[in-house]
Amino acid sequence: MKASRPVKLLVFLTALALLLAACPAPMPATDSGSGAAGTAGDMAGEFKVGLVTDVGRVNDRSFNQSAWEGVVAAAEALGLAEDDIKYIETQDAKDYADNMQQFIDAGYNVIVSVGFALGDATTAAAQENPDVFFIGVDQFQGEAMSNLAGLIFNEDHSGYLAGVLAGSLSRTGTIAAVLGTDLVPPVVAFNEGYIAGAKSVNADINVISTYHPGEISQAFVDPEWGAATAKQALDQGADVIFGAGGITGNGALQEIATADGAGETVFCIGVDTDQWNTVPAAQPCLVSSAMKLITPGVVELVTMASDGEFPGGNYFGDADLAPFHDFDDMIAQELKDLLEETKAGLIDGSIDTGYGN
Amino acid sequence: MSKNGPVSAFHRLRRRYGNTMIVALALVVMAVLVNVTPLKEQTWLRVLFGISALNFTLRATVPLVLGALSGILCERSGIINIGIEGMMLAGAFAGFVAKTSTNHWPLAASLIFSVVAAVAVGGLMGAVHALFSIRFRMDQIISGTVIIILALGTTSYLYNRDAIAEGKFSSIPIPGLAHIPVIGPVLFDNPPITYLALIMVVVVHLGLFYTRWGLRTRAVGEHPRAADTVGINVNRYRYINTSLGGMLAGLAGAFLVLEAVGQFQEGMTAGRGFISLAAMIFGNWNPVGALGAATLFGYTQALQNELLLAGVTQVPRQFISMLPYVVTIVAVSGLVGRVRPPAAEGKVYETEGSA
Repeated sequence: MKASRPVKLLVFLTALALLLAACPAPMPATDSGSGAAGTAGDMAGEFKVGLVTDVGRVNDRSFNQSAWEGVVAAAEALGLAEDDIKYIETQDAKDYADNMQQFIDAGYNVIVSVGFALGDATTAAAQENPDVFFIGVDQFQGEAMSNLAGLIFNEDHSGYLAGVLAGSLSRTGTIAAVLGTDLVPPVVAFNEGYIAGAKSVNADINVISTYHPGEISQAFVDPEWGAATAKQALDQGADVIFGAGGITGNGALQEIATADGAGETVFCIGVDTDQWNTVPAAQPCLVSSAMKLITPGVVELVTMASDGEFPGGNYFGDADLAPFHDFDDMIAQELKDLLEETKAGLIDGSIDTGYGN
Repeated sequence: MSKNGPVSAFHRLRRRYGNTMIVALALVVMAVLVNVTPLKEQTWLRVLFGISALNFTLRATVPLVLGALSGILCERSGIINIGIEGMMLAGAFAGFVAKTSTNHWPLAASLIFSVVAAVAVGGLMGAVHALFSIRFRMDQIISGTVIIILALGTTSYLYNRDAIAEGKFSSIPIPGLAHIPVIGPVLFDNPPITYLALIMVVVVHLGLFYTRWGLRTRAVGEHPRAADTVGINVNRYRYINTSLGGMLAGLAGAFLVLEAVGQFQEGMTAGRGFISLAAMIFGNWNPVGALGAATLFGYTQALQNELLLAGVTQVPRQFISMLPYVVTIVAVSGLVGRVRPPAAEGKVYETEGSA
């Protein structure tokens, strides 16, 4: 073969490209820094927990990471060995079922599947494998199964708190929300709660919110759309903007962080985790985040599974606002008190966000 | 008529784009009226022509038009470039890495250096695509796909989440012009890459249709045998144009990271490279046409947002998002005009007698 050398190079480069693209996927690994190995105790080797991410990495500083931290913390508490917890990073939505099957075939006791999009695959796997416990983060359960718990949150509650905060901070009387897609119910819940919360402190407030126009696979990974839309909202006079939609929302936060008056006259509110830590570039405007406490929820459910007290059906985790960090001095004490009262009211049911009615 | 002077160029432009220009002018007048007169009290007029919608449109147009120009340069010389998305992403990543490693430099120097890095890496990706397509005679669609996968895999693998790019390009108002009502803040108060993108449309257009290089590029893309016969080095032109195209895609990546978002995210091009291809085809492989198509795509995105922000929910927004594609299909299927790709596109050229 005359052209053998360039052809080899080509084949090598092509293979390298494919390998790099697929790299994070088929390598279940454990978090080496977890320290679980040192405390390996009675449960080691008997109880294994596997986690399947939604499309994305386990260190995404959002959903996947919070859930994995929950698994690591539960393993530490239960004295599992480092090898007893593993994750698989999903590369493509069509691999959800296969990735879960890998854990089932390897004899795992608990499988955590992260994200609304894995719901159907998780339900199917739970039906076929009644001996395995499944924890579906953000997966609402219509019909309860004894071996499948949906870890869900009252997103409308934390959205409501964010709305109270935004409505109180706004000087222009217009606030905005830049959101992932309305195809995902939790995102809608955040928005509805946000609007209701803002109206509860200022009945005349103008809340403008918009969802990403694309399908699920694009709606959460388009930071430039988030940023441009945040700018659009600023152009229309909004001065507090709630960015709720993964990386798309992060784009909105970063845009506001660089806008004129960031942290003085215009503010942003993050979502899901405390984004002060997860999106440092947003710190100039980030007053708080509407959180869903995924990590403690996962810890509780994994622990219950190992104790044989696994609750099937829906399991509600906590929803709350993140700390104000550098903006703590700027938030008036009355507003802090109002937020505390509101939170208590949401928990005891005396405040209704209106979502789902 | 046969003279190539500026006057005949103007006549040709007027003949070709006359109607388009009248429509564009009417839209500009409308936009000005809506934003400065009491017409802005009308919700639907504000949705259609509000300043926030126009700003969004331009911003969404920039990466699309740069991507489309990238495709035009490659395809006019006969190389199909389906890998714009990958070149854009690689450029974005290179710009981000360059920015984060020069955070301590003065902001302007660091940003300019980062743009150069993004453009260079985009060009490199273009050169790799040319190498695959020309030297190794690889199917150009597959080569383009490899470019996309390579960029997505490599950038996700190397991306360091803790790195933060400090600062991004801010607006540079053009003295005088920026104070024109409506048109000023929309067109003449933008960050530099936006201006550069608009300038590139003109440059590529003039280059392709009024220079020796452009004539030869088109000859190579239409009839490489004929071009070769008159002594044009076909593959050299293809290498150069594909690399230049890669550089433009890299510039689009620089826009996303250094001007628009300010940070890198995995897969942040989010399909813009593919929409660029649609804009290129809709624009009939013509820079000005591509600008029009990209603007239409950007505008419908703006419109969807405006409708939601204004609380208009009677029109399902999915219909609005269908609009540019419906228009494209109608246009491409022959109602507006026939689009025609360069004749030798996608074909490997081998000189006679070469092995």
